[in-house]
Amino acid sequence: MEAIGVKLWQALVSGLSVGSIYALIAEGYYITFITTGALNFGQGEFLMIGALFGLTCYITLGFPYAVAIFGAVLLTSLMGIGLERIAIRPVMRHALSLSWVLSTVAVSIILKNAAVQLWGPEQIKFPSPFGAGVVHIGSAGIFPQELFIIVAAIGTVIALQVFLKRAVLGKALMAVAFNRNAAAVMGINVKRMVVLAFVLSSALAGIGGVLVAPITFAWAYMGTVPGIKAFAAAIFGGLENPIGILIGGLVIGLLEQVFGIINSNIKEGITFLTVLLILAIRPSGLMGRKEIKKV
Amino acid sequence: MRAPVFAFAGPRQYALTALAAAGIFVLPIVLDDPFFILVLQSLAYLFIVALGLDILVGWTGQISLGHAGLYAVGAYTTALTSTKLGLPFWLSAPLGILLAAAFGALLALPSLRAKGPYLAMVTIAFGFMAEVTANRWSLTGGPMGIMSIPGPTLPNGREMTATEYFWLIGAVALACQLLAINLFRSRIGRTLLALQASEVAAETVGINVYRYKVLAFVLSSVCAGIGGVFFAHQNGYINSDSFVFAFSVSTLTSVLMGGSGTVFGPLVGSVILNLIPTVFASLREYQLYVYGAIMLVTIIFLPRGIVGSLRQLRAFQRFRRTPQMATPDSAALDFARKPMGDGAVLAVRRLCRSFGGIRALDNVDLAIKPGTVHGLIGPNGSGKSTFVNVVSGIYRSTAGRIELGGTVLLRLAPHHMAQKGITRTFQSIRLFTELSALDNVMVGFHLHLKAGFFANLFQTRHAVDEETAFRRKAMALLEFVGLSDRAFDRAQNLSYGQQRLLEIARALAVRPALLMLDEPAAGVNPTELQELARIIRKIKNAGVTLLIIEHHMELIMGVSDVISVLDFGQKIAEGDAAEIQRDAKVIEAYLGAPAISKAAEFHA
Repeated sequence: MEAIGVKLWQALVSGLSVGSIYALIAEGYYITFITTGALNFGQGEFLMIGALFGLTCYITLGFPYAVAIFGAVLLTSLMGIGLERIAIRPVMRHALSLSWVLSTVAVSIILKNAAVQLWGPEQIKFPSPFGAGVVHIGSAGIFPQELFIIVAAIGTVIALQVFLKRAVLGKALMAVAFNRNAAAVMGINVKRMVVLAFVLSSALAGIGGVLVAPITFAWAYMGTVPGIKAFAAAIFGGLENPIGILIGGLVIGLLEQVFGIINSNIKEGITFLTVLLILAIRPSGLMGRKEIKKV
Repeated sequence: MRAPVFAFAGPRQYALTALAAAGIFVLPIVLDDPFFILVLQSLAYLFIVALGLDILVGWTGQISLGHAGLYAVGAYTTALTSTKLGLPFWLSAPLGILLAAAFGALLALPSLRAKGPYLAMVTIAFGFMAEVTANRWSLTGGPMGIMSIPGPTLPNGREMTATEYFWLIGAVALACQLLAINLFRSRIGRTLLALQASEVAAETVGINVYRYKVLAFVLSSVCAGIGGVFFAHQNGYINSDSFVFAFSVSTLTSVLMGGSGTVFGPLVGSVILNLIPTVFASLREYQLYVYGAIMLVTIIFLPRGIVGSLRQLRAFQRFRRTPQMATPDSAALDFARKPMGDGAVLAVRRLCRSFGGIRALDNVDLAIKPGTVHGLIGPNGSGKSTFVNVVSGIYRSTAGRIELGGTVLLRLAPHHMAQKGITRTFQSIRLFTELSALDNVMVGFHLHLKAGFFANLFQTRHAVDEETAFRRKAMALLEFVGLSDRAFDRAQNLSYGQQRLLEIARALAVRPALLMLDEPAAGVNPTELQELARIIRKIKNAGVTLLIIEHHMELIMGVSDVISVLDFGQKIAEGDAAEIQRDAKVIEAYLGAPAISKAAEFHA
């Protein structure tokens, strides 16, 4: 009985930390989806680049962890500008609404190849700045990095919301999301706001990479699955609802870890099963808006 | 004499088919290298998968990023039944295809409600579940997969040679391509393209959108299943590594690269994309760069895909099929359904519809007499459009009842309403923009075309004759609204007024008992307006009962036998044009109370 309790505690903390990473990436989907109707299917690869570049800053160059985070954010932000320019802007004119799916996947394939060449195909250990030891809470052993992830990731998600609700730039971005043409008429540079959305989205993935790498590994193939699970989290909560997305990320993270105690096979499938169930009941996610047919 | 299956048989189609068949026969003999024959086999079955995906993506406008899952169902089913149950190839293969089709139907269930990224997620989730299941389940061999799958055998039990197997796959691929062409150009393809353009409009002419989406998913899955089956027996060994998300992505890429919604797009796209690894094999670690770059460049610079873009080039225009002319057959036109007794065509009692706290329709009673034009007017926001939306089944009524010729229609879906004889046009035009004017009307005939799926697939005599007869009817309807010279133009290239007339022609094709026109004069220029009034009278004379919503007073007063006025969801007046113009409540609703007292002063 005792053992189950300990496992449950650990699963709870791991679930929240993994879940908050999903939420972090998924908020990136949210911010570009509301402004352009597109999202970066390569978010996971941006996370991977963030992790590997962070590793280079932290270990190879010996900078502090905070600087590594900053470096990763800087690089992924720049990549966000490039992504918007190369893979989003040219295809958003197209009649076919699917083009962005494949153009962003194409970029992610190229990034993966680049990562293999720059950092090699092996899993690289990313030492946690908080050490490898565990903290004991009751009888459960928990990595301090996990606690740090929860605080940092959820903190970032909240900071993003404050930025969007309070800052002039953030409000301008939200205006574009509500009504692109009206925003343009009010003097907002829509193009620049779209770039900003992709920069923010990419930066979130970059932060996520440096945060998560110490509890996984850093390597070229680390991003794909979290990227897709984060998409599942966004869909679970409702792509247009940031609160729903945060909940979605945490719920999916928790479900995975808790079911992981029972059976590792269930752990792999539970995310997708949950999303299918939710969509069967609510076709635009848990907290998504109900669509009213306009005729 | 027209051979079956060759629907649009001209010398060109026979020649191309013969050439393709000859190519399939000769290629493995000429190349005669085990590696190349293997590549050819893969190209052929991957093409079949891409073709199937295009039915979903290019024709129907749905998305799937989970085709790897369907491909896996086909592969694992045939692998398991042939290794564990010892079923021969010709039994295990159809089983695999059948099961893939069943999963496709299942996958279609959420597709009616989930759209865009949500539908993408459904398919992604399905793909991942399939991969995880294959990887973890003991039955599917776990991560080790299934080994020593028997090679394909001939019915007499002898194992096929690689060349023979390629011939089989090639023949199936050729058959799939031919049948796909048949379907695409038949009523089935037209219906799928129509619901891609506007689901709501498709429903109002009687198309059961959901059934057609399921059909598209099932057809697509059959193709994926065929691919999976061929793959399993080619390799002799499968494990979950072959059924990953990347497979779904690359299949979708090949469709878009070739040109989705074009007849030969999937062929071109899948051949090019799947040859990349072979051609650039020497690049090794740079291979994914090339792959990603080619993907990116084609998507950016060839938005319609290779075939789609080539088709737009002038030099290729002459390869286009010239549209089959049809002489209008006005004699065969029968506009209205049989009159249903002497009572009202439509009788609406105490109809209510609320949105949140707002009562858009508040106990509306309305009766429309057969053979009349009934006008429905009222200020903006008075509930006119809501009325049409409820009666056409797009919105559900909150309370009240709708009767058509004495039968109660209780909360029916739009396509059921169309079956019963109620159809409509739209205030914001909803045509099937990519289809020709003629095809728009042909979609309108949906409820009257009887040839079924297989008749269309194999282009039986029945299906072809029916199509020809209805094309002549469609031409007659276009002539009726004055659009016969635009029959082969795309709907989106017509002028605004012409588009409104085309919507009317499409609705007439339904043979409605009641035709509702929602602001037919909006945006129409004065010349076209006179034409519109003339056509409305012609429709009435043909025996169709009409309900018209309109703000254009001259038109509505001119054509209506009876006019009802709505204000804040309630009927405030009813009568002929003269009565309505005198009605104090109507003047108040339009101009406000002070205007009435002023008018009274003026008259006094």
